[in-house]
Amino acid sequence: MSAPGKPRSLTLRILRSAPGAHVEPQWQDFAVEEAEGMTLFIALNEIRQNLDPSLQFDFVCRAGICGSCGMLIDGRPGLACRTLTKDHGATITLAPLPVFELIGDLSVNTGKWMRGTAERLETWIHRQQAPALTAVEAPMEPELAEAIYELDRCIECGCCVAGCGTLRMREDFVGAVGLNKIARFRLDPRDERSDEDFYNLIGDDTGVFGCMSLLGCHDVCPKGLPLQTQIAFLRRKMAVVGFK
Amino acid sequence: MKVAKRTFDAVIVGAGGAGLRAALQLSEAGLKTAVLTKVFPTRSHTVAAQGGVAASLGNSTEDNWHWHMYDTVKGSDWLGDQDAIEFMVKKANEVVVELEHYGMPFDRTDNGKIYQRPFGGHSQNYGQTPVSRSCAAADRTGHAMLHALYQRNVRANTQFFVEWMAMDLIRNADGDVLGVTAMEMETGEVSIFHAKATIFATGGAGRIYYSSTNAFINTGDGVGMAARAGIPLEDMEFWQFHPTGVAGAGVLITEGVRGEGGILRNAAGERFMERYAPNLKDLASRDIVSRSMVTEINEGRGCGTEKDHVLLDITHLSPETIMKRLPGIREIAIQFAGVDPIKAPIPVVPTCHYQMGGIPTNYKGQVIVPKDGNPNVPVAGFYAAGECACASVHGANRLGTNSLLDLLVFGKSAGETVVADFQSGQLTLKPLPDDAADVSLARIARLETQTNGVEVNDVRLDMQRVMQKHAGVFRFADMLKEGVTKILEVAERAKHTQIKDKSKVWNTARTEALELDNLIEVAKATMISAEARKESRGAHVRDDAIDCAETPNGRDDKNWLKHTLWYSEGNRLDYKPVNLQPMSADVEPIALAKRTY
Repeated sequence: MSAPGKPRSLTLRILRSAPGAHVEPQWQDFAVEEAEGMTLFIALNEIRQNLDPSLQFDFVCRAGICGSCGMLIDGRPGLACRTLTKDHGATITLAPLPVFELIGDLSVNTGKWMRGTAERLETWIHRQQAPALTAVEAPMEPELAEAIYELDRCIECGCCVAGCGTLRMREDFVGAVGLNKIARFRLDPRDERSDEDFYNLIGDDTGVFGCMSLLGCHDVCPKGLPLQTQIAFLRRKMAVVGFK
Repeated sequence: MKVAKRTFDAVIVGAGGAGLRAALQLSEAGLKTAVLTKVFPTRSHTVAAQGGVAASLGNSTEDNWHWHMYDTVKGSDWLGDQDAIEFMVKKANEVVVELEHYGMPFDRTDNGKIYQRPFGGHSQNYGQTPVSRSCAAADRTGHAMLHALYQRNVRANTQFFVEWMAMDLIRNADGDVLGVTAMEMETGEVSIFHAKATIFATGGAGRIYYSSTNAFINTGDGVGMAARAGIPLEDMEFWQFHPTGVAGAGVLITEGVRGEGGILRNAAGERFMERYAPNLKDLASRDIVSRSMVTEINEGRGCGTEKDHVLLDITHLSPETIMKRLPGIREIAIQFAGVDPIKAPIPVVPTCHYQMGGIPTNYKGQVIVPKDGNPNVPVAGFYAAGECACASVHGANRLGTNSLLDLLVFGKSAGETVVADFQSGQLTLKPLPDDAADVSLARIARLETQTNGVEVNDVRLDMQRVMQKHAGVFRFADMLKEGVTKILEVAERAKHTQIKDKSKVWNTARTEALELDNLIEVAKATMISAEARKESRGAHVRDDAIDCAETPNGRDDKNWLKHTLWYSEGNRLDYKPVNLQPMSADVEPIALAKRTY
């Protein structure tokens, strides 16, 4: 907050739920006094410490790199630790990310979903023969390394999944996080998979052809990954394989 | 009470860098392995490491492992064991290249090699000029590393028990380790994980301090469990205060910023590190830079209205360099300090960052304890790696980028040792004692029934304030003495913590109460070990240690060139010699000398 003076009183309106407890989800209001530089992560911890120890939400690093604290913030997927309360109104609504299995309140099981995607798309370097460890690193153009790194920045927070129109209609869609992974390994010369191999993983409506180009994923990615470009590019490459 | 039992060849506690590296070794060798972790593996705190991993690849400037070894021994203020240090620096190239093969997206030089940047305390030619030794993926090296290791583990089909909190170490009458008890956080149920080998890779306990770069999950669980089970903790008085935490927020700003040319300035705009470390300046070792900063602040040259911080200046770097090499730092500075480092310097203060001490191990990752006059006898079935372990390679002060190297080298080494012991038939499944889960069940039962107790948050906060005030960057004899009394008082209160929420399912309050038990062990170990060590060495600097020819910088090698061992029972202290002998004949011992940069 730039202007000094009386701090705002905030209302955090949180969607409370406990799957398995057989009670309807309901909104609950918590009053928090805003402090300078306050993030939602700080506000939520204050609530849990002072008002309600049973409030569930996930966080680890508080610096936007671990990907734990994704949630719907005023209806839009985002990271709690990267959201300053001053950028929002006096009442902020918080709800769990959709699509993922609900654990309770603001906590969802992104990990289970991400592991499933990793196994399904085999998101690791595929090599016929393991290089000897005595060998030095295989050289790589710095520009290519940078391009791979750019896509490797994904923190698997699930915001793109929560913002995806297709995933709300078919839960077997791999989502932008999955397609971005494929784009990343496709770029990497250390991965020996061909476009045909990748086509077998994502060359249908559960993969790159399921995307309706609504691009919610691109708009909400907290890391600003170029998801729109990557999906469009992959679709062209996969279409070429499909026509063969 | 009946407790579910699961049986494995090996159980690993923790799925950060060290745990994942060890798990990979075991999974690929076909051992039936369970990895227990409080959070999904890629959320582990290794993800927050920024600046890089050390290896003397020599891709940008001439380098070799001898220089790296010298820097590490000197950085440790000669408290590091030279056999373990030799082992680590010699393995560095192998583990880094291996990661590169796993797909880790390192930055590259123009000729296609892994990009390396200068880092504090790393030098060419035995301390002469800075060397580029830190292999980096921009300023998110830990993130790239953790994901590469995780992907490799998915490939190897490693079995993770996510959101399981290990509670207590299980030992038999002979002291052999037989596994752990663990609580499933979803249900609150306790299970026994019975195994032939148990590897701890639980990270550090930076949360004992009020101001810390550490994540909230860094509660020293493995260290606390080991201490409660009678394993001594080594060199716990040595804590690293990272020079550049964002003032107020505590979030880390990598030393790589100074590696890329960043400069620390006081209120007068002076580059004050030139006075304290004429050779390496802003790239001196972390303990030295942190103390210099606090001295500037204490002497009235701090910045801001409260004169309580200094400035980290990169405005002279090109915006392109900042965007390319330090994009994450720019994000952090904008959010947590409200400044764009392209235009204005970042306010920073020394912030608790890393635990140099831990569970005593050798370079093979075996946990070692004194027995029958031998200070280093392996505990059957017990291994540890990464920040929770003390090999000891960091001694009294760790060099930046040596922590990611530590977790790779010793995670792998612990894994290799377990696989070798398993394949040779040395590891067997020993029978569980009948009371294997009793301690854990009693801890849970106490939390269920405690009335008129104290709040977990209050006790934790008191502990953090005592640690911050009495065992900080500079230490004072009388404050340490008082600190011991205070921390023992806090520890007494911690026995009566009470939780309001008694539900079984996803009970965060209960988890935090159990974590506090671990933090308290670490806090006691730190304060008591620090009070006892009557000298200045590395990160442990006392007002009553005198800088003279006999004790350079207050370091008293005659009396204190030894490792501390703290036992939880009775807060007993013991000591063991530092290994000044390297592992092989490839290198001479690095001789004791006064430490200057």
